[in-house]
Amino acid sequence: MRLTGRRATSFPGLVALRLSPSLLGRLGRQLKKCIVVTGTNGKTTASRLLAAILAAQDPQEPPDAWIHNAEGANLAQGVVSALLEHTDWRGRLQWTRAVLEIDEATLPRVAHDLPVQWVVVTNVFRDQLDRYGELDTTVRKILEGIRDMQATVLLNADDPLSRYIGLTAGRPAVYYGMERGMAKPPERETMRDGTLCLRCGRPLRYEGFFYGQLGVYECPACGFARPSPDFMGEYDGASLRVTGGGAPARFQLPVRGVFNAYNALAAIAMARLQGVPDSAVEEALRRYRGPLGRMQVYGTDPASVLNLVKNPAGCDTVLETLCGEDVDKVLCIAINDLAADGRDVSWLWDADFERIPERGRAVLCVTTGLRAEDMALRLKYAGYPTGRLEVVPDPDAALDRSLEAARAHGVPVVHVLATYTALYPMAEALRRRAAAAEPAPARAAREGERP
Amino acid sequence: MLNLYADRGNVQTLLRRCEWRGLHAHVTPVRRHDEVRLRDYHLVLIGGGSDREQALVAEALRRRRREWKAAVEDGLPVLAVCGGYQLLGEYYQLPDGTKVPGLELLDLVTTAGRPRLIGNIAIESPEVGTVVGFENHGGRTVHRHAPLGTVLRGHGNNGRDGYEGVRYRNVVGTYIHGPLLPKNPRLADFLLSLAAAYAGVAVDFPPLDDELEWAAHRAFLTRHAGVRGPR
Ligand SMILES: [Zn+2]
Repeated sequence: MRLTGRRATSFPGLVALRLSPSLLGRLGRQLKKCIVVTGTNGKTTASRLLAAILAAQDPQEPPDAWIHNAEGANLAQGVVSALLEHTDWRGRLQWTRAVLEIDEATLPRVAHDLPVQWVVVTNVFRDQLDRYGELDTTVRKILEGIRDMQATVLLNADDPLSRYIGLTAGRPAVYYGMERGMAKPPERETMRDGTLCLRCGRPLRYEGFFYGQLGVYECPACGFARPSPDFMGEYDGASLRVTGGGAPARFQLPVRGVFNAYNALAAIAMARLQGVPDSAVEEALRRYRGPLGRMQVYGTDPASVLNLVKNPAGCDTVLETLCGEDVDKVLCIAINDLAADGRDVSWLWDADFERIPERGRAVLCVTTGLRAEDMALRLKYAGYPTGRLEVVPDPDAALDRSLEAARAHGVPVVHVLATYTALYPMAEALRRRAAAAEPAPARAAREGERP
Repeated sequence: MLNLYADRGNVQTLLRRCEWRGLHAHVTPVRRHDEVRLRDYHLVLIGGGSDREQALVAEALRRRRREWKAAVEDGLPVLAVCGGYQLLGEYYQLPDGTKVPGLELLDLVTTAGRPRLIGNIAIESPEVGTVVGFENHGGRTVHRHAPLGTVLRGHGNNGRDGYEGVRYRNVVGTYIHGPLLPKNPRLADFLLSLAAAYAGVAVDFPPLDDELEWAAHRAFLTRHAGVRGPR
């Protein structure tokens, strides 16, 4: 039972789980190697990078010799879907190695069914509070999951919440982190989750930050502190130098931003732990294509760039990147509040949209989606002039308006930000407009925009 | 303005609405071990974190309980949301029966319950009209004061009695966030006018251009409560 079409990724598994709740266990037991990637942000990118690297080890094998679940299909039924795709009619797995991206809240539910040897935790940020209750619940879920596995954990040393997991999970832990020289003092006084010591409740003291709550921290009261990383990364905006688990080496990254450098570091560290040679890592990074919504460039007129936003930390990294581009731009922000987006849009107020009026060079902001008005209000209170703010609830119309305004202002780029359920329709709409724009003068603009 | 873990959106809304009227407001963010002199402030915002954080905040604030009580009786305006709302009461009872003591400013108690009460909420308040937002709380709160409003849609204080929030002197307590104030400009201005009166500053609050605020408010009401919004 295999459905075709990109957006049906979780469907066969959902049916299978309903028919037979023990299916995950029956399939999972057959795995000889199982690596799980979890955490708040970056698990899709980190797990895809890792799967690509592991698959590149042996050029004789087909690229799907490592089972890997499709983007976003990271709940129990998504894992079953991925396994079912590689199962013959007798219920036997054709391949017995897997890299699985698993949602934090799902981790305890699948822990018993999968023979997990390694768990990678990308980070623990405030994410979709309405699904999990509150932040401490996320930490607890990951801990619960890990305790039920006979696994070694690969953790982010720079994230105090991950460090807490490492100290209390009772499993062997290996750490990756960035070179402390990269840490910078905070730009603005912001309250971050995890800035209180999870052990004793005192505020943590930071020597510097990498991004969000990730930094060089210690608790002045109880001695809780950033461990020295086993795998150290040094990122220069394009390449990542990795020290640890082998000779130091520099890798060109196919993804941009510090947050993605962390994802790459986690994947490379795990690859080294699995004994993958650097040449295979390089090859995989060279061929890697990113998942949807991570800075895709479309050849519309003018060019547009699509980004997924879903929580404050992830959104801030996107805002930081686009505000760092020193050109005029139009922003089109699509906010939905369906279950997969998180029904509570409070998070918009914790993200640093103040950057846009401060130095975003946005000549126009068009807000759209089910919560278009909330997004417009957020920008108004961020200090963005209401005269250059338009609410267009219909996403297609909003996109047309954004492109048209960009052309009228002679602006070279439209940045589209979308929450999860708005992402696919936006990508589709952009693809159609890009196809219609060929071979218009847009081509030159797009080539110029490509990273 | 004193800020204890309050939603950034609420603080920002109050600040901007002062600024747009040419009023100056100063915010002091408070961390757990900061010493606070309540009488230096004209409006206090209390937000909430996780259970763990909330217990820590409660423990720190309780040391100044008498000062808090006197200030509230004296008319200090307080906006307390979610965990901060629960903190105003006698205690918060955890699932294992432990009672985390609150500030005991109000005759109010909260008991942890299941499931969490999560979703969009709209209420009708006699003082400020409809109030809309999101709620997400495990605690069931009961009290002997006036509520902030009656529930039009959602769960409210405890999912049973049809009331949401609390009103006592110049205290407003509520589970509604999302955040609370940006989409509810009447409530925001109500708090500012309480603060101005308490500060003894004679200012009037000329209406602002709240087109976007009401658009968001109305969009919410039509979509979630089937109620036609104000204006
Ligand atoms: Zn500590």
